[in-house]
Amino acid sequence: MAAFIEIKNLTKKYRLGQEIITALDNVNLSIAQGEFLCILGTSGSGKTTLLHIMAGLEKPVRGEVLVKGVSLTKMKEKDMAYFRRKHMGFIFQSYNLIPTLTAVENVALPLIFDGVEKKEREKRARDLLIQLGLKERLKNKPTEMSGGQQQRVSIARALVNNPKIIFADEPTGNLDSKTTKEIMDILYERVKASGVTLIMVTHDLDLAHYADRVIHMVDGQITKIVEKGVSA
Amino acid sequence: MNKLDILKLAHRNLWRRKARTILTVVGVMIGTTAIVVMLSLGIGLKESQRKSMERWGDLNMIRVQQGINFDREGKPLGEAKKLDDAAVAEIKAIEGVVAVSPAYESGGEAKFGRKRGHIQLIGIDPEEMVNLEFTASLGRLLKAGDRNVMVVGSQVINNFRDEAEIRKMQRGMMFYEGPRRLERKDPGEMMDQRIAMEIRNNSNHEKKRIFNFQVVGVLEGEFKQHAYQAYAPIEDIKRMRKFMMEGTQNGGGDPRMMREIAMKTGGEVRATSSRRPMQGYDPDDYNFLLVRTEDVTKTREVSDILRERGYNTYSIADQLEGIEKTSRTIQAILGGIGGITLLVAAIGITNTMIMSIYERTKEIGIMKVIGATFQDIHAMFLAEAGLIGLMGGTIGLGLSYLVSYIINHFSRNFMSRGLPPGEEVMGISLIPPYLALFAMAFAVLIGVIAGLYPANRAVRLSPINAIRNE
Repeated sequence: MAAFIEIKNLTKKYRLGQEIITALDNVNLSIAQGEFLCILGTSGSGKTTLLHIMAGLEKPVRGEVLVKGVSLTKMKEKDMAYFRRKHMGFIFQSYNLIPTLTAVENVALPLIFDGVEKKEREKRARDLLIQLGLKERLKNKPTEMSGGQQQRVSIARALVNNPKIIFADEPTGNLDSKTTKEIMDILYERVKASGVTLIMVTHDLDLAHYADRVIHMVDGQITKIVEKGVSA
Repeated sequence: MNKLDILKLAHRNLWRRKARTILTVVGVMIGTTAIVVMLSLGIGLKESQRKSMERWGDLNMIRVQQGINFDREGKPLGEAKKLDDAAVAEIKAIEGVVAVSPAYESGGEAKFGRKRGHIQLIGIDPEEMVNLEFTASLGRLLKAGDRNVMVVGSQVINNFRDEAEIRKMQRGMMFYEGPRRLERKDPGEMMDQRIAMEIRNNSNHEKKRIFNFQVVGVLEGEFKQHAYQAYAPIEDIKRMRKFMMEGTQNGGGDPRMMREIAMKTGGEVRATSSRRPMQGYDPDDYNFLLVRTEDVTKTREVSDILRERGYNTYSIADQLEGIEKTSRTIQAILGGIGGITLLVAAIGITNTMIMSIYERTKEIGIMKVIGATFQDIHAMFLAEAGLIGLMGGTIGLGLSYLVSYIINHFSRNFMSRGLPPGEEVMGISLIPPYLALFAMAFAVLIGVIAGLYPANRAVRLSPINAIRNE
């Protein structure tokens, strides 16, 4: 498979007081287009840092991230923002919805930055929310919704710009097991239907079976790569 | 990001914290009101001074007089310029000059109907009268080809009394009270009347002649200098003067000439001891020239040019300059007081925006992650700060009009003292449209400037910290 995302010799270090912490230690990885990749690791394993660098939110000390041959790590902040707006979607553990905006407006937010007309962007947002089963919640603010509903809004927000890559950081971390399954099913379904590449970070081994490939991380290094069908 | 979307988002974000936003807006409102009201007082002051100057004369008129200019120590500068037709042509050619008319001053006893009095008569080029910015309240102005007609100022009638009344006074039965300003007579009484001017010869006072004039118009304006004068075609006055000067020795005998000699010789009239040949006036030289310019600015420019060329000039605008300088200083002080208030308001905006950014750190981070550029974030916060400025500016401007109205209302009684009756009382606080526009623009600008620092802070916030899972 041709590499869609290529990670080369990625190293990231933090200074924490006197200590220097190595969050990522020479990580190499190739991700194919349309792949559902799960990065599994405990807290402090460097999995979130890897995700941030892949999303261009952090700069590595050394190494490179290439998306279709384009280096994200060398990109200017402005171009990176543009790239994220056009090609990436994000799902967070704590949903990170804007509390003052309604469900529709939250979903439409990435399109506002992209300069899409109000009518057009709200239609797209509404359609997605209805598809995700939130027909009754379109005008509600995040505080008026349950965790599962909020996360569905945030999935809609991640999908609204028809991205190539979706990053999910512990997407079910705040949800109970029933809702977790619900959310993961929706996510899986949407991802597979649209052919988007999903990179999910989690510490929950139970979610790993949704992924095409699972990467285990410990202390900033990839320790094990499990392909689907081999372990499951 | 679309500009309208930025404004809408900014507007929405502002009303999340109603009390805080309202208080900040109130700050800007007070600042705007302070600055507008203070400046309006300065402008009102300037305008009322200007109005009172205009009561005395036109701001775009220059009187070019016979005589020379003196330096600060009182030494004469250059030679006196002749006021003749060449001078009229020369002045007409100066840029900014609209009209020039030569003028002779004359005067004497006059009679019409059963009234007798005195008229100060100015002879001017009748063709130029309309260009000299005279207006007639009754009848018409002088025009080309006029002969033996005059246009009188509205106060001229007050110099006339019934002959019977005069006889009584001469017999000591009545006190002469001078022209009674309060019991003003109707200037229309003189319309179409034939005025008989009695002119005496300068060298032989027994020799006299009557010159008749028909009144064809009354001039507008009760307080200007010309209200006390009458105007006639210059050719008529020339004939009058010719008769007056018949047989006199040295030209004209104009008192101003003697004054000039006195000044040149250091206060004493010692024409014989002067080393220079005596510089008399040609009796045919005009007494003065009336010059009308485009506007006040041109009046000053033209006056300066004329003085440089050796003409002696006088205009009300000369005095206005000094007064304007004073009122500019007063305006600067008043504006400064208002400015300080607005500065405090600006600091309030900055403070509000910084607080708002602290509260919205996470939100800003999320927006950055999902694709907001630095410029988007920057624009959003500047828009919020600018909106506070706009709201404060708008309400402040409304309040300014109210305060201005109240000030004018209560100062009206006080202000109307000393004004001639019938004169419209001017407010001491004036808000011209340009001040209103300036205040609004300034309030928005202050808001945006106050928002610069917080907006830059928001831009620099790390998105990672904002979205990190707690």
